[in-house]
Amino acid sequence: MITQQAVMDFLRAGGYIADNAIATAVFLAIRMEKPILIEGPPGVGKTGLAKALAAALDFPLVRLQCYEGIDEGKALYDWEYGKQLLYTQLLRTQLDNYLSVSADLREAVERLSSEESLFFSKNFLVQRPILRSFLSEKRSLLLIDEIDRADDEFEALLLECLSDFQVSIPELGVIEARRKPLVILTSNGTRMISDALRRRCLYLYIGYPELEREVAIVRTRFPDLCEELARQMVEFLRQARELNLRKPPSVSETLDWAQVLSILKATELTPEVVVSTVGVIAKHQTDLQKVTELAARELG
Amino acid sequence: MERIVTRFVAALRENGIRVSPGESLDAVQALALARMDGRKASRLLLRLTLVKNVNDIPTFNAVFNHFFSRFQFVEPEADLPALLDTAISDMEGEFNDLNERKDDDHDASGPLLKLDSEIRPEDLAELKSLAEIDPDDSDGNEIVVQMKGYRGKAKTPPRPTRRYTQNPLTIELGKSNSDARGVTFSPEEQAVMQEVVSKMMLRLRKDMRRMKNNQNRGKLHVIKTIQKNYRHDMVPFQVALRRKRREKPRLVVLCDVSFSVSHASRFMLLLLHTLHNQLLDVRSFIYNRDLAEITEMLANMPVNDLMETIDRGDIVDLDENSSFGQVFLKFKKKYLENLRGRPAFIILGDARNNYDEANDWVLDEIREKSRYMLWLTPEERETWSRGDCLMDIYGSYCDKVEVVKTVDDLSLVVEDLLRDIYADQAHPIDRKLLREAKAAETYAPEDYYRRGANAGSEPVFDPEGRSHW
Repeated sequence: MITQQAVMDFLRAGGYIADNAIATAVFLAIRMEKPILIEGPPGVGKTGLAKALAAALDFPLVRLQCYEGIDEGKALYDWEYGKQLLYTQLLRTQLDNYLSVSADLREAVERLSSEESLFFSKNFLVQRPILRSFLSEKRSLLLIDEIDRADDEFEALLLECLSDFQVSIPELGVIEARRKPLVILTSNGTRMISDALRRRCLYLYIGYPELEREVAIVRTRFPDLCEELARQMVEFLRQARELNLRKPPSVSETLDWAQVLSILKATELTPEVVVSTVGVIAKHQTDLQKVTELAARELG
Repeated sequence: MERIVTRFVAALRENGIRVSPGESLDAVQALALARMDGRKASRLLLRLTLVKNVNDIPTFNAVFNHFFSRFQFVEPEADLPALLDTAISDMEGEFNDLNERKDDDHDASGPLLKLDSEIRPEDLAELKSLAEIDPDDSDGNEIVVQMKGYRGKAKTPPRPTRRYTQNPLTIELGKSNSDARGVTFSPEEQAVMQEVVSKMMLRLRKDMRRMKNNQNRGKLHVIKTIQKNYRHDMVPFQVALRRKRREKPRLVVLCDVSFSVSHASRFMLLLLHTLHNQLLDVRSFIYNRDLAEITEMLANMPVNDLMETIDRGDIVDLDENSSFGQVFLKFKKKYLENLRGRPAFIILGDARNNYDEANDWVLDEIREKSRYMLWLTPEERETWSRGDCLMDIYGSYCDKVEVVKTVDDLSLVVEDLLRDIYADQAHPIDRKLLREAKAAETYAPEDYYRRGANAGSEPVFDPEGRSHW
């Protein structure tokens, strides 16, 4: 029996600082065996949550990166044509023997078709991520990353998998999940996900973390960075997010910056330090300027 | 608990959040699974299970606060009788208010008695707000009637603004409909536009994808075919064809930014530039008496900033009278020479030339250079030759003149245009498919019966319809 607090604790042990909403969502997902759909700006730790969770729960992580044009052959299963061909070649003599008993062509075809299922068996099935996680011996964590990049057809394909945890393969029938995996879907919101898919998931929106949590995140990742500097840089970045930048600095930028600052052995945030490392936090030319201006204004 | 959840879900639905029965079941399950300690935790649980869209979260919070405010959390050790007393005195305070009013009117009547027996704070609040709405001459009976009316009103959507407005053209964008200069797009307006555009994209994308598949028809791509069929022992089961390179359709837009049509122009600019990267190659110009290209600015500046700049008159002077003749001449001198790839041409304006020279021969030259020419005007057809309006003259050079009055009209026109452009470039098979799709769309079975009835009579004037030249 686990609780929200337990979830928060073991995520923290795995180096992921969760807030209440995240912990509750994970807790519910585990208990209700429902997928979580996570939305939020890039770089706030959507994929990171899945990774941390897999590590903390000791589940194997099966990752499916979505892209435009992904289909069931890439996500669910595929037949191994090469292997099938190879086997028919190698087994030719056996086949000849086997078929030579039959009197005429009709009988031969019947004999052969009665053995057809041999060639469409699990031996020749390539398991793609979703099927692999369904058939895994241990309970696994299936991460369907950036679902908004896939087409709507693919989304429809996922509906069966996510609500019933089963895959229908015409040649084999319905394959049910051995252990229902914990499913995490992430989306950057470049496209509206259909309501049908949303309905099957718990919905979690991860925004930019509040001050204390972000400081805690920096502190856990880079313990050698002094507390004041961490707080100072987080506060600065929070101001930068208000600037209406083209690409506002996210948590991942915060961590990158923290790393840079700890490599540079900086002890205090000054305009000079910001200017020399601004490329880490601002990723557009116009943003660079705005951030340097902010530094001069706030830190100077 | 189930009842509370279902009632809460009903409240959410009333406020426009779509919640399916399955989701409310989830919510009940979640509440049972997790220990509920306090308001925050239960709100979190309900939010995780019931809300599936970021934009709905604020609404959800508001509904949650409102809904559960009537169930006050009471500390178990609190002095219950005292609480009750304060509650009663609170309510009596409300009653005093009502009683006074009743005394004023010298009229005691039924509903107030009914209120007595089962009164809830929100009813009182509602009654109180009513008092503010209609302070004079209301007795008890009327309060009830008006309350019903009041509730109903809140639910009906805001009345659509009339589409008949002649001049200046106002565009329905959300609720704010001000035609004042210097108005930039509010978030709601942008949301409306986003919605219009995304709907359009959805419709278009289907066709485009189908066409793309067919566009693959080309010569055999030998290497790719071999690679693809390696696993079939080189038996070419799957054939890879060379993809024909196709350029994005080019579009040139001339938008009038003078007062009379500025709202439509802005929407047009925004619309086309939302489409710009995905489907089109757009060059945009704005004009009043002067002409300026703003393609670069639209690409590099936030839309609102650009609109402000235009409104300040920094790009073209807005105080002058618009002159189409001048504009066409300038366009010919400056830009017509380096117009590449036979673009489609859209002109948005009311063709009111302020009695300047028409210079309509320029349109003829532009027409030669362009694939297609479309004029969008907010004016009804009967005024096209009235006053200084040169629509009749200019219109004769265009492939099509459309009357647009609303954002929906405009997006439909643009969509049609895109279809036409794509169809023009498409593979013959696609062209046939597209034609069939279009025919299927326009054909409505009830027309079949109406046609006979209307035969011989005058065609009915349809104010919403777009007239074709």
